[in-house]
Amino acid sequence: MSRLEELKTRIKEALPGLECVIGWQKGYDALHNTPLFMRSAEDVDKLEWGALNVHNPAVYLPTMAGKKVGVVVKGCDSRSVVELLQENLINRDNIVIFAAGCDGVVDLTKVKAKLAAAGTGAGVVTAVSADGKTVSVTAGGKTVAMPMAEVAADKCLRCQYPNAVLADTFVGTPAPQPTPVPSANADLDALDAMSVPDRMAFWRYHMDRCIRCYACRNACPMCVCRDHCIAQSREPHWLSQDDSVTEKLMFQVVHAMHLAGRCTECGECQRACPMDIPVLALKKHLNRTIHDLFDYQAGVDAAAIPPLLQFKTEEVNIKERSW
Amino acid sequence: MPVLTGKELRIVGFLCNWCSYGGADTAGVGRFNQPTDLRIIRVPCSGRIDPLFIAKTLINGADGVLVSGCHPRDCHYAEGNFYARRRLEVLKRFLPILGIDPGRFDYTWVSASEGQRWQKVVTAFTEQIHTLGPAPRFDAVAPELLAKVAGAISQGGNRVAA
Amino acid sequence: MRIGVFVCHCGSNIEGTVDTAAVAKATLEFPEVVYATDTMYACSEPGQDGIIQAIKEKNLTGVVVASCTPRMHEPTFRKAVERAGLNRFMFEMANIREHVSWIGKNREANTNKSLDLVRIAVEKLRRDAPLIPSKFSVNKRVMIIGGGVAGIQAALDCADGGLQVVLVERESTIGGKMAKLDKTFPTVDCSSCILGPKMVDVAQHPNITLHAYSEVDSIGGYVGNFQVKVKKKATYVDWELCTGCGACIEKCPSKKNPDAFNEKIGPCTSINIPFPQAIPKKAYIDATTCRQFVKGKCGVCAKVCPTGAIRYDMTDEIVTEDVGAIVAATGYDLFDIKKIPEYGSGTYPDVITGLQYERLLSASGPTGGHIKRPSDGKEPKNIVFIQCVGSRDKSLDRPYCSGFCCMYTAKQTILTKDHIPDSQSYVFYMDIRSPGKMYDEFTRRAMEEYGARYIRGRVAMVYPKGDKLMVRGADTLAGTQVEIEADLVVLAAGAEAAKGAPQLAEKLRISYDKYGFFMESHPKLKPVETNTAGVYLAGSCQGPKDIPQSVGQGSAAAAKVLALFSKDMLESDPQISRVDIKRCVGCGKCIMTCPFKAIKEVEFRGQKKAEVIETVCQGCGICTSTCPQGAIQLSHFTDNQILAEVNALCQS
Repeated sequence: MSRLEELKTRIKEALPGLECVIGWQKGYDALHNTPLFMRSAEDVDKLEWGALNVHNPAVYLPTMAGKKVGVVVKGCDSRSVVELLQENLINRDNIVIFAAGCDGVVDLTKVKAKLAAAGTGAGVVTAVSADGKTVSVTAGGKTVAMPMAEVAADKCLRCQYPNAVLADTFVGTPAPQPTPVPSANADLDALDAMSVPDRMAFWRYHMDRCIRCYACRNACPMCVCRDHCIAQSREPHWLSQDDSVTEKLMFQVVHAMHLAGRCTECGECQRACPMDIPVLALKKHLNRTIHDLFDYQAGVDAAAIPPLLQFKTEEVNIKERSW
Repeated sequence: MPVLTGKELRIVGFLCNWCSYGGADTAGVGRFNQPTDLRIIRVPCSGRIDPLFIAKTLINGADGVLVSGCHPRDCHYAEGNFYARRRLEVLKRFLPILGIDPGRFDYTWVSASEGQRWQKVVTAFTEQIHTLGPAPRFDAVAPELLAKVAGAISQGGNRVAA
Repeated sequence: MRIGVFVCHCGSNIEGTVDTAAVAKATLEFPEVVYATDTMYACSEPGQDGIIQAIKEKNLTGVVVASCTPRMHEPTFRKAVERAGLNRFMFEMANIREHVSWIGKNREANTNKSLDLVRIAVEKLRRDAPLIPSKFSVNKRVMIIGGGVAGIQAALDCADGGLQVVLVERESTIGGKMAKLDKTFPTVDCSSCILGPKMVDVAQHPNITLHAYSEVDSIGGYVGNFQVKVKKKATYVDWELCTGCGACIEKCPSKKNPDAFNEKIGPCTSINIPFPQAIPKKAYIDATTCRQFVKGKCGVCAKVCPTGAIRYDMTDEIVTEDVGAIVAATGYDLFDIKKIPEYGSGTYPDVITGLQYERLLSASGPTGGHIKRPSDGKEPKNIVFIQCVGSRDKSLDRPYCSGFCCMYTAKQTILTKDHIPDSQSYVFYMDIRSPGKMYDEFTRRAMEEYGARYIRGRVAMVYPKGDKLMVRGADTLAGTQVEIEADLVVLAAGAEAAKGAPQLAEKLRISYDKYGFFMESHPKLKPVETNTAGVYLAGSCQGPKDIPQSVGQGSAAAAKVLALFSKDMLESDPQISRVDIKRCVGCGKCIMTCPFKAIKEVEFRGQKKAEVIETVCQGCGICTSTCPQGAIQLSHFTDNQILAEVNALCQS
C-alpha cells in the first residue's frame, strides 16, 4: 500500500474521535495543492501526499485549541507541532499526528521559472507527475521535465528531518535523509558575503517592493498572536500604518526577533510572500546565532525550554565586551 | 534640534534604574566629565528592555545605542540582566544582517557605585560612534548603491541574493 | 493633558552650565505643554509651593520637573503634585543635573541636551495614567539576622516596642565581635560588662525568639509577608536539656582544637561553650574534631552529661519563620593578615591581629588576662603596633579605611601600659583617624600620658632576630629609616565583609558593593534602608563601624521597622504589570520568566489567561519584554511610553 493509501486508511479509522484532520488536497490547477480539512470519509479520499504539499498545516492548530484534531505532517511540519507543544500553545492530548516519510516538496517559484524558461506561457498547469527524482509539469500543452534537485524548496535540500520528529501514526518506510546541497544556503551565503552597507541597500530594495500584506506572518505557524500582532495594535503602538520602508523593515525585524529561538525554518513566510522577498534569510541568520550561542534547535524536543525564556548565570558562548 | 549638528551624534542609552542609572548619577556627583551626545532613557531593569526598542531606535536613525544594567548576579530583580544578556547578544549579532554596523550597539554592566566606570563606558562608546560617523539611513540609501544591489538582484532573482 | 514644566537652577548647580530659562521657554513648543518656568530650587518649600500654585492656577494635569536625578527627589515631587490634587504618577523628571550640568561645561550643548531630556519626559508623561495603590496586611514580626551588638540592639528595641522578634545567629552564642573585646574606647569600659546585660536581656525578653547556631537558608515573599527558612545546624546537644554546667567540656578528651572564639590563639575542646557569658549558655559539638565523629568512638560527653542531652544522631533542621520585615546585621570579618607576607604572619607566632591581642588582654581569654606572647609565653616588653593592615591599600583591593583601628590601637597601647608598666609601645601609622566624641583626646592620652611612641610611616618588613622580631620601617616625619626590636607585633587588620555576605544579599535581594558590604538605599539620607522594601541594615554589614555607630544603626533600623509596622495595612507600589486580557493568548511565557512567581494562569471564559498577583509583582518588566503581543504592560514603563521616548529622540 502506498503512503497515501495507508494514511487515508488510518485517518478514516481515527476520524470518528476527531473534530477534523488537516491535510492537503488538489487545488485550482494541477500544480497547486491547498489545505484540506477532513471531516468525513469522502473528505479523506481527497487527501494528497507528495511534492506539491507545500503548506505547513501546523499553522491551523493554535486556532483550534480546545478541539481534538488530527494533523498530517511532513518532517518539517512536525517540528512546528513540537515547538507549539514546547510553548504550551497546543495541548498534546488534543492533537493526533499522522505522518509519513517525505521526499521533499517543490518551490513553486522555481517551477514557474522553469516553465517560463521553457516558454509554456502563462497557461494553467494541467498535469504534474513526480517520482522523487524528476517533476514533470504539463502546461500550455507542453510537458517540461524538471530535476527535483533544481526545483525542490531550499529547506528540502538541507533537510535534517525528512521523517516526523513526533508522530502518533507513522506510515510506510521512513524517507532517507538527503545529502545537504551547498546551494541550499545560497541566500544566507550571499548575504554573508555582502558588505554591511550593501545589506542595508539589499533590504531597502526589497522593502520598497514589500506591499505589507502580512502574508509572511499569517503563514507562520509560530505567529500565534494573530489579531493581536503588535504590527497592527495601538496599545502597544510599535508600528504606524505609514507605508514607509522603515516601518516595513521594522515589521520584518519584529517578526524575526519574535521567532528567535522558536523558528523551525519551515519557510512558510517566504513561500507565502507574493513579492518573493527572501524574508526567511533573517530567520535563518537568527537560528544560526541561536545555535552558536546556545547549541539549540527549535522544535525537536517537546520538553526543551526555548533559549530566550531561560538563562545560565555563566554563559559560556557570550563574550562580553571589556571596557 | 535634538543634537548639535556637526558636533554631536544621536546616541540613546537604555539604563536600568537601580545600577546603571545610579552609576550615571554617581558619575555626575563625582563631576566626571563626559561627552554630551548620550540621551538616557530610564527603565526599571535591563530585563525590561525589549531588543526591539534598540532595533527601532537604530532603524529610526539613531547613530548608536548603549544599554547598561546591573552586573550579572547583582540584578535588583535577581534575574533580569540574565534574560537581557541573552536577548541583547542575539540582537547584537542580528544587526549586521540588516545592514547595521554592530559597533553601533553595545551593552554592558555598571553598578550604582561605578561612576568612573560609567564615565569610561560613555566616553569610549561615544568615541566609537564618532569613529563610525553618522549612521547611514535606511530611508536614504544612496541611489548608486541601491542601483548596484538592485542590478545584482535582478540578475540572480529575488530569492537568491547575488 | 495640560502639562507644566519646571526647570530648576539648583542654585548654580544647573544654572551654571545650563540656560534654564531658555530650556523652559523652548518646552512651550512641545505638545500639551501649557506652562513652563525656571525656578531657583524646585525641591525647596517655595519651589514646591510654586509647582502647587501653578497646578491650581493653570489647571495643570501633569508636571515635569527638570532638576536632579529622580532617584533623589522623585518621591518629593510626587508628594507635592499629590498635595495639589493630582495623582502622584502624573509626574516625570528630567535629570539635567547628574546627567547634564555636572558632567560637562559646554553651556550650549548642555542647554540643548536638557531640552531633549525634557522632551522625552513630556512624551512619557503624556502617556502616564493615574495609578492607585492597593492595600495588603502586614505580619508584625521582624527577623534580625546577626546577633552582634547591632543586631542585639535592633532586637531589643523592636521587642521593647512590642514586636515579636526572631533573632538568627550563625554562632552558638550571640555577642559577635564585641564579646571578644577586652575593653572599649574611649572610656576603657569592660566590653563584656556593658554587652553582657544586653545579651541577658535578649535571652529573657518574652518577645524574642533566638535561633543560635542557625543560618538563613532561603527567603521568599515580600515586605509585610516574608517567609524565611532558617537552617538550625546540628549542635549534637539537646538544648532543651543542656544546663550549661560544663561537665562535658571538663571531660572532653579532644582538647587541642584551635578556639575560634579566642581567635585561634588558645585551644578548646570539641564540645564547647565559647565563653562564660555565652547566650544561650549551651554546649555544642564541633563534628570536624570530635572523636565520636572523626574516629567513630568516644562518647565521653554522653556518659558524663548529667541530663543526658548529647545527641550524636542530630541533623540539621529547617524551620520556617513568617515575618514582615528583616534587619540584616551580619557584621564583618577580619582581613587575612597572611596576605601580607612581609609582616611575617603565619611564619612568626608573635605576629598577631589586634583582635587576638584583645583575647590576650581579656581576663576570660586563653592567658587569663596576662599578656603572654604566643611563641614562648614570655611577657613582652617592646610591642609594635602596625596600622592599616588591609585598609587603605589599593594594591590589596582594600582601598577603604576600616575606621576603628586607629582607636582600638590607642586603647591597646594604654591597656598594655596598665598591664606591663615597664613596657614600651610603638605605633606605625599612616594618619590618625579619630573623629568621634572624646576620640582625639583619647589618642592624645595614649601618646602623652601612656608614652606610646607614634611613628608616621609604613613598615617594610618584619624579620626574626634571636627570639625577637625586628620591625623595619620608615619614619616619614623624621625622614629616616627606623628599626625596632619587638617582642610582639600587633597588626591592626582591616575589616572585610562577613563571609557569605554576598550570598545572603542575594537571598535578601539587596545589592552589595564589590567588597561584599551591603548597599544602603541612599548613602546620606537612607543609611539603614535597602532598595528592597522591608529589608533594613544595621552595623558593619553595610561598612566598617565602631560600637556606638553600630548600636545607633541597630536602633535606627528598629525605628524603621516600628514605623513600618505602625500601619495595619501597607500600600503596594502600583507600578506593576497589568494584563490586557483581550490581547493575552495564554502562552504563559510571562509566567516562565517572572523571577518572583508573580504571574499565575487563570481561566477566563474557558480560555487560559495570565494574571498578575499585585502584592508579589516587583515591577521589573521582564514579562513586558517577553510577551510578543505586548499584552502584559508594566505600568508607568509601558511599551508606548518607551517608544514615545525613542521616537522623540529619533525625530530630526
